Amino acid sequence: MILIPILALFVGVALGFLLRPETSGILSIYLSLAVLAGIDSVLGGLRSAMEAKFQAAVFITGFLSNIVIALFMAAFGDMIGLNLYFAAVLVMGWRVFMNLSLIRRFAITRIGDAIARRQAEKEHSVRQSETLG
Amino acid sequence: MKNPFVATSNENRWILPVSVLSLVVGLMTAMAIVGQANRSNRVTLLDNDARTRLSLGTLDLSADNEKLRSEIKVLRENNTRLEEAVASNSDSAAELNESLKATKAAAGLTEVEGPGVTVTLRDSTQAPSEALDVSGQIIHDTDVLRVINELRNAGAEAISVNNRRVGLGTNVRCVGTTILVDESRIASPVVIRAIGEADTLFGGINLPGGILSELKAVDPNMAEVAVVRKMRLPAFSGVTTFKVAKTVPPEPAAE
Repeated sequence: MILIPILALFVGVALGFLLRPETSGILSIYLSLAVLAGIDSVLGGLRSAMEAKFQAAVFITGFLSNIVIALFMAAFGDMIGLNLYFAAVLVMGWRVFMNLSLIRRFAITRIGDAIARRQAEKEHSVRQSETLG
Repeated sequence: MKNPFVATSNENRWILPVSVLSLVVGLMTAMAIVGQANRSNRVTLLDNDARTRLSLGTLDLSADNEKLRSEIKVLRENNTRLEEAVASNSDSAAELNESLKATKAAAGLTEVEGPGVTVTLRDSTQAPSEALDVSGQIIHDTDVLRVINELRNAGAEAISVNNRRVGLGTNVRCVGTTILVDESRIASPVVIRAIGEADTLFGGINLPGGILSELKAVDPNMAEVAVVRKMRLPAFSGVTTFKVAKTVPPEPAAE
C-alpha cells in the first residue's frame, strides 16, 4: 500500500529528468521551497492515512496552501529584506521529521500487533488441536 | 460474501491523491536539482554574497596564473638578453636596441626604479557608526580606480597595485567582496605605489575633495600616503599581444 506513493515519487523524478522542463528566472529559486512544502504535505497525508483520519479535501488544500504560503513568505521576505524563507524551511522541515517519526511509530505498532496476533492464533490452534486430540 | 472486517475502499481512498501529489513532488524535485544549465540562470538572481561563493569555485585559477606569469617573466628576460647580445654586435643594432628598450619601458614591460608615493587603502576597522550602511567603510574597486586615475593625473610614470604593475589593458573590477586586478584577487589592504615627482604626486593625491579626503572623512585610518625616496616596481606581466588590431605603415601626411 505504502509503496504506491513511493513508486509514484520515483516515477515523478524519472519523468522530470526525461522531460527536463526549463526552469528559469525567479521560479528556479523558489522551486526548492515548493518541493519541501510538497514533501511535507505528502508525509502529512501518509500520517493521516495511518491514523485513519485521511480526508482528500483537507489533504489537497493543505498541499496547495502549504506551497502558496511558503512561496509568499519567501517572496515577501525578499521584498522587505528579511529572510522569512528560513521560517518556512524551519517549520516544514520540522514537520517532516515529526511526520516521519509518527509514521515510524504507527508502522512499528502495526507490525508488533501483527506478530502478536499470529502468535495468539498459533497458540489458539495448538490448544484447539490439544482439546480435539 | 464480503468480509466486513477487511479494509474496504474507504480505508484506501488516500492512496490515489497521495500518489498523484507525490508524483508531482518528484517532478518538482527533478526540476529543482541544480544542474549546470539552470545554475547560470540562477546566478544573476542571487545576491552578491551568494554569487561570490559560487564564483569562487570557478575563478580559482590564481595558481595557474601565477605559473604563467613566472614563465612570461623568464621569456621576457631571455628576450632582453638576446637583444643585448645583438646590440653588442654592431652600432646600428645598438641604436635599434636602445629604441626598443625605451619602447618597452614606456609600455611598462621593464622593472623601473625611482622616487614616488605609496598609497595604502584599508577597510575601516571602526564599528559601523550611525547608519546600517557599512558600504562606505569598505575599499571598493572604484576607490582603487580613482586613486590610480588621480596618480596618473598627477604625473605618475609607473603604477603598481599590490606589487602588480598597472599596464596595457589593466582593469580593476569587483567580484562580490573582493577586487580583481587583471584577474588576480586582492583585498584590503590595497597598496598602490607610483613612481613620479614625489611631491607632485603627494599633493595631487591629497587634493581637497579628492578620493582620499572622501575616505578619510569616513575613517582617517582608511587611507595613508607616504613619500618614498626610492622604490622598485615590477614589470607588467599581462598579455601584450594583439589578437585583432594590426599595425599599419604611417600614412603620408596630407597637406
